Amino acid sequence: MNLLSFAVKNLKRRKSRTLLTMAGVVIAVAVLFSLLSISSGYEQQLTREMDSLGFHLLAVPKGCPYEAASLIIHGGVFPKYLSGEDLARVKAMEGVDFASPLLLHQIVKNSTPHIIYGIDPNDITGLKPSWKVSGRYFESWETRVMVVGKILAEREDLGVGSVLPFGPDQESFTIVGVLERTGGEDDNFHFIPLSEAQRVFGKENRITAIAVRVHDIRRIAEISRDLETIPDVQVITMAQVAGTIMNLVGSARTLLYTVIVIAICISGGGIINSLLMSVNERTREFGMLKAIGASGLDIGFLVLYETLIITTLGGILGIVVAVIVSGFIEGFVRNAIPYAPSGSLFSFEPALVLIALVFSIVLGLICGIYPAIRSGRLSPMETIREGFL
Amino acid sequence: MSVIEATEITKVYKRGREEVHAIRGVSLSIDSSEFVAIVGPSGAGKTALMNIIGCLDTPTNGTLTIDGIRVTGRTERELVRMRRGTIGFVFQQFFLIPTLTARENIGLPLIFNRRKADDWKIDDILDQVGLSDRASHYPHELSGGEMQRVAIGRALVTRPKILLADEPTGNLDTGNSDLIFHLLQGLNREGLTILMVTHNPGLARRAGRVVSLKDGLIEHDMPPPGCPI
Repeated sequence: MNLLSFAVKNLKRRKSRTLLTMAGVVIAVAVLFSLLSISSGYEQQLTREMDSLGFHLLAVPKGCPYEAASLIIHGGVFPKYLSGEDLARVKAMEGVDFASPLLLHQIVKNSTPHIIYGIDPNDITGLKPSWKVSGRYFESWETRVMVVGKILAEREDLGVGSVLPFGPDQESFTIVGVLERTGGEDDNFHFIPLSEAQRVFGKENRITAIAVRVHDIRRIAEISRDLETIPDVQVITMAQVAGTIMNLVGSARTLLYTVIVIAICISGGGIINSLLMSVNERTREFGMLKAIGASGLDIGFLVLYETLIITTLGGILGIVVAVIVSGFIEGFVRNAIPYAPSGSLFSFEPALVLIALVFSIVLGLICGIYPAIRSGRLSPMETIREGFL
Repeated sequence: MSVIEATEITKVYKRGREEVHAIRGVSLSIDSSEFVAIVGPSGAGKTALMNIIGCLDTPTNGTLTIDGIRVTGRTERELVRMRRGTIGFVFQQFFLIPTLTARENIGLPLIFNRRKADDWKIDDILDQVGLSDRASHYPHELSGGEMQRVAIGRALVTRPKILLADEPTGNLDTGNSDLIFHLLQGLNREGLTILMVTHNPGLARRAGRVVSLKDGLIEHDMPPPGCPI
C-alpha cells in the first residue's frame, strides 16, 4: 500500500459523495470535449467541402452582397447576373486554367425550396471532380435531362429514368443520373445543362457566377485583381468564403464557450466544496495520521491525490460520455449555428482527448490545492484536542 | 538512562481571548523501560503533556530531550522524523481507517516512512498483539478490544522506543481493558518505555510509576503503594 492506494480507499469510504463530485467533472469535461471536437470537426468539414469544389475563385456580379455571394455554393440566389461576354473575358484571362458558367435558380414546390443548378455539361468533371454518378451525366446537346442529388432523389422518390414535370411550363425532364452521396449541399440540388436552365427560366445569356480554377494557386491574389478589372465582375475566393462562414459561426461559438466556462465553474465549485467537507470531517483523523508519522506534506498530497483521482476518472468518463451522446450534441449545435456543413461535425481526435485529460488534471490541481494546503497545515494538537482532553 | 527528560515545561494556549495555562512548569525524567501512568482530573494538563512529549506540540517554555536528542526549538520536519522513528501513539478512540484491513491499518505508518511494508514484519506484529487470525478483517468486523490491539500494532510497526497511550482502555469493558493492559505490560517487559494517561485507578496502580497532575503541575510522582518495582 502507498499514499495513492490509501487515497483510493479513502474515496471508497464516501462513495456517493465521490460519485456526485465526479459527476460534476464528467459533465464539465463532456461539454468541453464535445464542443472542442465539434469546433474542430466543423472547420475540417468546411475545408473538405471547399476542397471538393474543384475551383478556387468565384466571379460574381458586382454589387452582390458579400455574404450572399458566399452562399452561392450552397444555393443562394440573387437577382444580378453576368453575361456570356464576361465569361469570354474571364476565360481569356492569363493564369486562368478553367472557367465554368453557373446559373442558379430557386423554385418553391409544395412549400419546399428547390435549388436548380445550370452547369455546362462539358465542365462537370472539372467542376466537381469528386462526383460519382449512378446512371450518367448529361451531354451538351441534350435537352430536358437532369441529374439529381442523392438526398433529393430519396426525398422525392426519383431514380434514373424517372420523368419530372419541371419549370414554369411543367416540361417533362428525364432523370439520367443520380449522384452518389457527396456529404455536401450538392445532395439536395437539381442539375441541368446551363443552356436548358437559361431557356426554361427565361435567362438567356445570363450567368449567376463563374467558377474559376487557376493554374498556379499561389497567384490567386494577383489573378483576382486582374479579374476585377472586368467592369461587371467581383471576385471571391473560396478561402474568403470559408472565412465568412467562420465569422458567422464565431458568435455562436462564443455562446457555446460561455456555456463551457459556466459548466466548469459550477463543477469546480462543487469539487472544492465537497473536498473541504471531507477534509473538515476528517480533521481528527488527519491529526492521528500526523501522530503516527505523517508530515503536513503527506496529508496535503493525500488530499491532492484524492482530488486528482476524482477529476482524472471524471475526465475519462466525460470523454466517453461525450462520444456516446455526440449525435445529440451535434443536433443541438446544428440548430445553434447559422451554417453547418453536412457530414459528421464530431471529430474524435487524440489531441483533443489529451487536452480534455490535461484539463481534468489541471482542474483537480486547482481545486485540490486549497483544501490540501489547509489540511496539511492543521496542527495535530488542535485536530486531536477535542478527542484528547 | 533517561529516555525522556523534561525540564520546567510550560504550555499556554489561547482559547478565544482567554489564555489557558495547560502546564505550569513540569519537570519529569523517565528512564528507558519504565511504565508510567499519568493520572489527574480533566483539565490537569495530561493531554497537553502527552502531546508535547509526543512531539505533536511544542512547549511554550522549558526544554525537552527525547532519546538523547533535544527536541525543543526543532523544526517541524525534525519533529516529524522523531514521531516516525522514536514514538508510537495509541488513542482512546482507536482511530482506525474503516476501509483498511487490520493488516493495512497496522502498516499505515510505513506509508509515511516511504518504506515498503514487509509482510513478515507485520505478521510478527499481528502475532504480538494476538490478531494473526484477524489480519484481513475490517475494523467494523472487530470488537473494541481487537480494534485497540490493531491500534497498538500500528504504533509498534515503526519499532518505537516510547509508546504514548492516551486512555487506551477508556472505551473498553473491564475484560478487554485487562487484556490491553497485559499486552502493554508485556511490551514494557521487552524494553518499551510506556506513558499511559488513564482515569482508571485500578490500572494506574498496576503501572510501575504514577505521575499525578493537577492544574498543570505535578502533584505526586511515586511508585504505586505496595507495588515493588
